[in-house]
Amino acid sequence: MKSPFDTATGTIALGLLLTLALYLIVHSLVLGG
Amino acid sequence: MMVHILGLMLLWVHLFAGIIWIGHNYANVVQRPGFRALRPEDLGDEQSPTYMALLGREHGTFRYAAIVTWLAGVGMLWQRGMLFDAVTLRGYPAIIGTGFWIGTLMLLNLWLVLWPHQKKVLGFVSAPLEERVRSARITFLSARVNTMLSMPLLFFMAASQHGIALFA
Repeated sequence: MKSPFDTATGTIALGLLLTLALYLIVHSLVLGG
Repeated sequence: MMVHILGLMLLWVHLFAGIIWIGHNYANVVQRPGFRALRPEDLGDEQSPTYMALLGREHGTFRYAAIVTWLAGVGMLWQRGMLFDAVTLRGYPAIIGTGFWIGTLMLLNLWLVLWPHQKKVLGFVSAPLEERVRSARITFLSARVNTMLSMPLLFFMAASQHGIALFA
């Protein structure tokens, strides 16, 4: 089964999305910004 | 003075071991960006070029470098007196604490998911041929998950020192 991890681009795109999501979570939920 | 030297040494070790670990992972992404499925005959024949190439890869140093990286990172948080707040995500130490949890996840992924399956692929642990072929797919995905996780990890590491304003 194909996954986004099958290409370097897909892996990096997921990494960028995860970074943004975690930033928003830590910023808003944990630090209450 | 000794406290500063200890802090510097821990950071040095953390970066050095971290580069060995993640550098290994990134080198794999650069050299083999896409997944290449193994065939049963690749693993069934111990003299096949694919199997010999797999065996010839580095399998030990980066796994232990991962442990050293994690220990040095925890040591840095302890030495700075922020280990508890970081791990429990309290206040601004939550920024590096997020990095701590991502790094912990990566270490566990490496040792508990990737390596047990890699041992099957390489034949260090006996397994049916189909399972060894399937394990090669799992090791690939496990390694790429760590590639992905390294991106927010590095972001939170950098942000904890240079990007506090982003979280204000």
